Formats: sequence, C-alpha cells, structure tokens
Amino acid sequence: MTTGRYVSDLDEGDVLGPVEYTISRFVIREYAHAVELHEDCFQHKNGQIAPPTMVHLDKLRLYKHACPAGTGPHARVHVEYDATIHAPVPAEARLKIEGRVSSRYLKRGRDYVHMEIEMRLAETNALLVSYRDTVILSYKGEEKEGNRANG
Amino acid sequence: MADTTKSFEPGQEFTSRMRMMTRERMRWYVDAQPTVALDTGRIERQEPTIHDDDDYARSQGLPGIIADGMVSTNWIMGLLIDTFGDHVARGGSLRTRYIKPVYEDDKLTSHARVTSAEKADGKTAYKLEVWCSNGNGDPVTVGEATVVVPN
Repeated sequence: MTTGRYVSDLDEGDVLGPVEYTISRFVIREYAHAVELHEDCFQHKNGQIAPPTMVHLDKLRLYKHACPAGTGPHARVHVEYDATIHAPVPAEARLKIEGRVSSRYLKRGRDYVHMEIEMRLAETNALLVSYRDTVILSYKGEEKEGNRANG
Repeated sequence: MADTTKSFEPGQEFTSRMRMMTRERMRWYVDAQPTVALDTGRIERQEPTIHDDDDYARSQGLPGIIADGMVSTNWIMGLLIDTFGDHVARGGSLRTRYIKPVYEDDKLTSHARVTSAEKADGKTAYKLEVWCSNGNGDPVTVGEATVVVPN
C-alpha cells in the first residue's frame, strides 16, 4: 500500500477512496462554461446533468484524498481518457467514487500508471460512469507520447 | 441544436468550427478544477501549473504553457453533442489519447467520422473515429467514441 503521501508513490493494487460528495448545479455549470459545453442539458435547471468528462476531476479528488502530500517532484502527464457512460449523472446527486491502480510499469524510461475509477449513485450504488485514466509520472520534458500535465 | 431524428452512414464526417487555444481557454480549465473540488460558489485558483504559468512550464522542460488534454476531449464531446444530441452524455463511450502538445494560440478543429452504425432494439449504436487537429492539420488528440441514439 503506497497511498498516504505523493501521487508519484502510487502502485498497482492501491485503492483510493471511496469518497462521497454532492455534485452541485453550480459546479456543473462552471465546468461546462470552462470547456465551452453550452448545451441546455448542462446549463438548465430542469433535468440538468453533468458532462460525463467530469469523472476526470474525480481522479484529482481521489488523489487529494489518498495522497495529501501532492503530486511529487515532477509534473504528471495525462496521456489517455477512456470513459464508458452507463447512466446520466444528475445534478444534486450524492455520488460515491472509488479508484484502483490497475497497473504501473516502465516503458522507454517512463512510469505509466493506469487507474480505474467508478462513479456511482451513493444511495443505490448504481454505476454511472466507469473511467480508465492513464498518466505518465516523473515527467521531465517534452516527449513524443505525452504532453499534458497536472491532469 | 442537433436533429436527433437524422440517421448517419459509415464514412460520414463532422467538423467543428475552429477554436484558438488561447491562454484564457487554458486558464478556464485550470481554474475549473479547484472551483469544482471546493464548490464554494466562487471561482477558486490553484498552484501554478504547466497550463497557466510559463515559468513553471519551462521549469518542467516545456517551451511555454500547453493546454490540458481534457480541453480537447471536451471539445470533441461538444461536437458529438451538436451532432447527435445530449444522448452523448447519457450513454456510450469516449476514449481520447493525447499525441502532440497544444501550444498557446494553436488553432484546433474537432472531427468525427462514423465507422459503423448498428440498429437493434429501437436504437442505433454509432461507432466513430474522433480527433482534434491543429492549424497544420496534424492530429493532436485522437480516439474513438460510441453514441447510442433512439430510432
């Protein structure tokens, strides 16, 4: 178990969470504005739902919960987003998120980490979104394969 | 608004309007992260990142700030919603990989191409190839999506 300090310490088998929170109308609108998703389903009060891409921020929520010392010495590179939507994410819902580091390996001198995250309704445990996130840790410069950090 | 009564054929391609990846657009996503996490009803800020602080980006080996990959992922999702309606946020899947950096003032266009359309149980499941290209026409974000639309 390598949770409890830096994100860069995470290793295969680590479980992050569960963490519960309520997804407010305000944060859905703020996120949607930030990424220019101006569709009614994200902005209007009646039947408002969250962009499913917000599951990526659940990874950061889980990092904060499980790795309170922060990222570690180097910026992290987000290389892949892979989400399956099982049901819409309703505004004002109480959500339960949990993550599991499914693998960590070295490839061409870089540390790859895959994390599987599930977002569920806290009350019923119904699965809303399953997400597989891939990052490179210990990023030290511009590389061909990955180019985003802190994601 | 998408015309969800339309049906689409394999090979059909959709393209968004071009958007410039300005410094402001990068910062909007940076600020969205603590704003969503803290949910105070105010815009929150975070520590410098490679997406909003040139000095920090250069300290990490980059020539300057680069965009978070999730911005292009969301722009692709926006194109899919504009085409297929908000079914895109209620089911299906989206996978994106970040293969080239997106720098300040790069001109990004989102694309989607139908690769298959299967009708069953009163619904059509479309599979699509998706990507974002820069002003040189080079893909910077690539991936696949599945969109399920009622007939």
